[in-house]
Amino acid sequence: MRVWPLLRLLLLAVALAGCMPAQLRPMLALNRRLEQAGSAREPALSGRWLAVIGGRGGREQVQLLDVERGQPVPLPGLNRPDAQPLSVGVDARGERLAVVRQLNGQTELVLYRRSLGLLQPLAIQPAGVPRRVQLRADGRQLAVEVSRNGLWQIDLITMP
Amino acid sequence: MPHLCVAALTGLLLALTGCGWLGSASRRPAPLGGLANSNRNDAALSGDGRLLASLIEDNGTTRLILQEQGSGRRLALRHWRRQTPHSSPSLSWNGRYLAGLVQQGEQRRVVVEDRLNGRLLRLPLPGGGQPERLSLAPDGSRLAVQVLRKGQWQVEVLDLNGLLEPDLPGATTVLGGGVPPP
Repeated sequence: MRVWPLLRLLLLAVALAGCMPAQLRPMLALNRRLEQAGSAREPALSGRWLAVIGGRGGREQVQLLDVERGQPVPLPGLNRPDAQPLSVGVDARGERLAVVRQLNGQTELVLYRRSLGLLQPLAIQPAGVPRRVQLRADGRQLAVEVSRNGLWQIDLITMP
Repeated sequence: MPHLCVAALTGLLLALTGCGWLGSASRRPAPLGGLANSNRNDAALSGDGRLLASLIEDNGTTRLILQEQGSGRRLALRHWRRQTPHSSPSLSWNGRYLAGLVQQGEQRRVVVEDRLNGRLLRLPLPGGGQPERLSLAPDGSRLAVQVLRKGQWQVEVLDLNGLLEPDLPGATTVLGGGVPPP
């Protein structure tokens, strides 16, 4: 006979657990490293890679971190002191990064291939001003916001 | 010497072309779905490219829409209706999970919709603070959130293992799968 109150309590606990917000576990070591590196914004996670725009003293650059090792990886040929990155996307292999940046008064979309250290401008056609970019996890396509004729639009660019 | 330089450059160009690096990218507008004259921004593609999430301006607020990329057909998002403005959508590999920011009163909250079972997860940030942007890992294992802390933008990465089942690319198994091929 004492089973019923216990069963009711158990059912109540299960029901309440269903209503409770889920608990997130911060990745403490990685987060500490990010904090020590200065400010960071515009995160893009894919596979084991986290791309952010960050830095100290107002000098921002694109940074790529290996989330599993908690370490930044070099991006030779991508960052330059006279460019201001605005948005970044990364594929799941950490091979391709799509970046919107301002350089010489122009806003441009570029694609960086890490293994080759090569940077390729991607033309916006018809002409427009890109803002935020997201790269598909397989790296084959990107979606970019473009200001064109007073309207924000989304362009989908498929890459070979 | 000039001949050597020309030959080396030609070889490099041919190699790059062979890699597809200099191949031309093709561009097309996102499927309109009756949204030709609306501002659209903050797009997110699922890892397999089948789905596209984006934000539109609608009746004075910013609302999330989800479309099939091929047909442009809009998919229902019943959980998100009354929590505008929405921002920062992010999709998993097969589009099972749709993460984003919603407004609840004065607070901006992180939510993840599990489209397979229709469940909406509210994810309070362990360190508090207002989330500004987020990115969900395509397999659903992690979430990166941009928050304002001590007067500067910070990115925090959160482990979702145990909260979300993996949403992996097609033909990927987590366990089992029989005897590996020789």
